[in-house]
Amino acid sequence: MILSKLRPLLTKNTSALGLWRPMSEHRVFPMEPSRWQWNKFKDLFHFYALVGIIPLSLLTLYANVFIGPATLQEIPEGYTPKYWEYYKSPITRFIARYMLADPQQDYEKYLAYIFMENEKKQLRQLEKKIKDKMAERLDYQAYYYRPVMAKYHRISREAFDYLESIRGD
Amino acid sequence: MAEAEPRNVVEKFFTSVANVLVTPTVWVREKIVEPNQQSYPWYHQKFRRVPTIDECYTDDVVCQFEAEAQYKRDRLVDSNILSILRARFEDCTLYEAPDHLEKCKPLWEQYEDASTNWFIKYGDLGGYHNVKSAYMKQKHRMIWERRHGPVGSGKKDTE
Repeated sequence: MILSKLRPLLTKNTSALGLWRPMSEHRVFPMEPSRWQWNKFKDLFHFYALVGIIPLSLLTLYANVFIGPATLQEIPEGYTPKYWEYYKSPITRFIARYMLADPQQDYEKYLAYIFMENEKKQLRQLEKKIKDKMAERLDYQAYYYRPVMAKYHRISREAFDYLESIRGD
Repeated sequence: MAEAEPRNVVEKFFTSVANVLVTPTVWVREKIVEPNQQSYPWYHQKFRRVPTIDECYTDDVVCQFEAEAQYKRDRLVDSNILSILRARFEDCTLYEAPDHLEKCKPLWEQYEDASTNWFIKYGDLGGYHNVKSAYMKQKHRMIWERRHGPVGSGKKDTE
């Protein structure tokens, strides 16, 4: 159907030579008010509705109608609830179970971390006290003693012997 | 809680106007929502008691951290208890309106005692205090009481 519309466009504006070159006639841009705000509104509306409102409301409907909130009960004897069973809403339970870490695990990891850091802190404090005392009394030569590791001396001596054997005197 | 039956024509009219919105909601809930919901429990977490700050060694950071966590939880519990007592007194005042001064007096006494105790333990410590500053507050109060007698009985001259 569209092709039949095109032929009159070609033949309508022919000049004396029978050609149509739309190159130098008086062609104007159609003057009309801006439709930018309307187009932007449609964009934003589609975005927030299709990506935000509809999926979230479907999710909320599903969670509240087909699963429903939990009922508060006493903890049964001899049973320790899992960490996600302390929340009421099924969505919060889902997030706590599959996305977040067990709070007790985090707590105990932090306790281990501060214990180790405290041990290091005590060792460093002791070292600092000893050094300060040595600096104050100036009665211990060990402050100026730089420890040597025999391993590296052995390696460099081996390398020296080898090079000497190659080069000669 | 069963809705009270309308007692007269005016109440009947207003209940039937309200029922325009209430009846479809109740029908949806009873016929569609509740049959499809699953029933499963959730619990309130119970925390074990750990040693308090006065039972911790000075270089035992683990004990101190756990004592601080327990202190924060206990503070929340105490604050909520105080809120409940306050709400009880306020509800009593609203309900008993003209003669609330006599009727609600026991609740007021109870709330005042509880809030005094709360302030003795947690008050005037600032927004970001820790368990050590609360412990030191108790220590300073006990020393002051040893020197000058109970709080509120005036300061004695130093001998």
